[in-house]
Amino acid sequence: MPLSFLRRRNVMLALVLVAALLPLGANPYHLFVANLIFIYILLSVGLNLLLGYAGQLAFANAAMFGIGAYGTGLLQVHFGWPFLIAFPAGALIATAVGLTLALPALRLSGLYLALSTLAFAQFTQWVFLHWEGVTFGAGGFKTPQVSFAPLPVDHRHGLYYLSLVIMVAMVWFAGNIVTSRIGRAFITVRDSEVAAESLGVDLLRYKALAFGLSAFYAGIAGGLYSQMLNFVSPEGYDLFQMVLQKAMVVVGGLGSIAGSVLGAGTIVLVLEGLREFKGAQEVVFGAMLLVFIIFMRGGIVSVIRRHVPGWEEPLHRAGALPPAEPPTSLPLAPPAQERGVS
Amino acid sequence: MTMLSYLLLSGITTGALYALVALGLVVVNKATGVINFAQGELFMVAGFIAWSIHVQFGFDFALALAGAVLVGFVLGCAIDRIAFRPLLRADVVAIVLATVGISFMLKGIGRIIWGGKGDYLSFPPITSTDPIMLGEIVLVPQQIAVLAGAIAIMLAFGAFFRFTRIGKMMQATADNAKAATLVGIRIERIYTLAFGTGAAVAAAAAVLAAPLTLLYPDMGFSFFIKGFAAAVVGGLTSLPGAVVGGLAIGIVEALAGGYIHSSMMEVSAFIAIMLVLLIRPTGLLSFYKARRV
Repeated sequence: MPLSFLRRRNVMLALVLVAALLPLGANPYHLFVANLIFIYILLSVGLNLLLGYAGQLAFANAAMFGIGAYGTGLLQVHFGWPFLIAFPAGALIATAVGLTLALPALRLSGLYLALSTLAFAQFTQWVFLHWEGVTFGAGGFKTPQVSFAPLPVDHRHGLYYLSLVIMVAMVWFAGNIVTSRIGRAFITVRDSEVAAESLGVDLLRYKALAFGLSAFYAGIAGGLYSQMLNFVSPEGYDLFQMVLQKAMVVVGGLGSIAGSVLGAGTIVLVLEGLREFKGAQEVVFGAMLLVFIIFMRGGIVSVIRRHVPGWEEPLHRAGALPPAEPPTSLPLAPPAQERGVS
Repeated sequence: MTMLSYLLLSGITTGALYALVALGLVVVNKATGVINFAQGELFMVAGFIAWSIHVQFGFDFALALAGAVLVGFVLGCAIDRIAFRPLLRADVVAIVLATVGISFMLKGIGRIIWGGKGDYLSFPPITSTDPIMLGEIVLVPQQIAVLAGAIAIMLAFGAFFRFTRIGKMMQATADNAKAATLVGIRIERIYTLAFGTGAAVAAAAAVLAAPLTLLYPDMGFSFFIKGFAAAVVGGLTSLPGAVVGGLAIGIVEALAGGYIHSSMMEVSAFIAIMLVLLIRPTGLLSFYKARRV
C-alpha cells in the first residue's frame, strides 16, 4: 500500500508540526491566516459535535462565537479584567447560553429547532447592535492587547502559539469525546431519539452536553478571535459567519473531527483567496455548501476514507477493546452510568 | 387615535405581506414537510426583477408583476429540482443546508447584479402618496392598494386549492403522499409545483412590498424570518393560520415599534418565534396535537 503511511494520526501530527514551525518562515499575513484557521478549526469541531455527531440542527453557533468574543472583550473593557481571566470567563458565558438553548431542543427537533435557534441568533445580533450602553452598538469597540510579558514573544507570535496549543488540545479532546461513551450516545441521539432512550441514553443530559460543548468551543474561538483582531463588532457574527461555519463542517465531513480540521482549513483558504472579490463570497460559499450536500455528502473525508487505508475514524478507541473477551456482567443489566444513576 | 389607527393600518399592511410569505412557506411545508430557507431570497430577487422591468426598462407595473411572478415560479421549481429532489431520501439536515446554500447564492447574485446601483433602490408608488383623512383616521392610499393586492392574491390562492385540479392534487399529496401515489398522482411533480407556487406567492408579495419598503439585497432574510414567525403562529401547516399569523405579527410589530421603541420592530418577530415554539410548538391556532417528530 503506497498510501498506508498516511494514517490519520500521522497526517494530523504532521500538520501540527508544520503549524508549530510555521512562524520561522512566514510573513505576518501568513501567520494571520494560520491563526484564523486555528480559530475556525475550533468553531467547526465544536459545530460538528452538535450537528454531525448529536444531529441537532442548530443555527446559533455564530451567535455563540459572538457571545464569546463580546464576553471576553467587554469584561476587559468594562471591568478591566486581564485577558487571561476574561477569556475563559467569556467562553463560560457562551457555554451557559448554549446550555440554555438546549432547553428548547428538548421539545423541538429538525426544522423547528433550526428556526428557533436562527431566531435566537438574530436576537443576539440585535442585542449586539442595540444595547449600546454595553456593547457599543454597530460601531463595535477595540479590545486591549494582551501582553505575554514574561515570555520572550511579541503579541502576534504569543497569540499564535496560544491559539495553536488550545486548538490542538481541544481537537484532541473532541477526538476523545467522540470515541467515548458520550460520543456514541450523541450518535444514537442523532440516529433515533426513541432508540437512544430505549438504550438508556438520557436525552436531556446528552443534548445539553452537546449544546454546551459546542458553545464552549465557539466561546473559546470567540475569545481568541477578539484578541487576534483587537476589535469586536456585530457584523463578524452574522448570517454569513453562520454559513461559513456550516460550509466548513459540510465540506470537511459531517461526523468527522479530522474532516472539520480539513474543512476549516479549506474554507479559510478559499475565503482569503476571495478577499479581492468580496461580492463573490456569498455565491461561492453557498454553492460549496450546496454542491457538497448534493454530490459529496460525506465531505472531503469520505474521499480520503475511500482511498487511504487506515483513515477510519472508529467510534471506539483503537486497541482499547480486547478482541473477544466474554462480558463480565449480566448481559441484561446495563452499566449504572447509562441508567442515569450517577 | 390618529396614531393608533395609523399604526394599525401599517401593521395590517405589512402583516398581509408577511402572510403572503408565510403562505409560500406553508404550501411548501405542507406538500414536502420541509421549509424552503431560500424563500426570503426568492422574495428579494423577484422584487429586483420587478424593479428592473418597471424602473430600469420602463415597462408597465402589471408587466413587472407578471414577470416577477413568472421568474419566482421558475426559480422555485429550480430549487426543487436542484436542492430537494436529489435529497428526497436524505435527512432533513441535508435539505435545510442545501436550501441555505441556495439562499446565499441568490443573495450574492442579487448583490452582484443590483447591489451596485446604490444601497437601497426605490420603487415608484402605484398610487398617490397623499394621505386621506377620515375623521381622525389616516388612510395611506399606497397601503390600501398593497392591502387590496394582498387580499386578492390570498383569495386567488385559496380558490386555486379549492377549485382547480392541480390544487386538489396538491391537497391530496399533502394529506397522504402514499395514497396520492396510489391514485396516480405523480408526487414529485406536485413537490416541484409546491416549490414553484410558494415562490410565486413570495414574488407577488415582493412586488407589492417594493414601493413600501425599498429594495436591498439583505431584505430577504428579514421577510423570511417574519414570514416564518407568521407561519409558526399559525401552526406551519394551515393556510388560514398563516394569514392570521401574518396579520398578528405585523400588528404586534407596528405597535411595539410605535409605542415602545422603533428598534423593537425588528426583534418582536424573533421573540414571537421563540416564545411560540417554546410554549406551543404546534402553533397558537391549532387545537389538535399533530407534531412532526
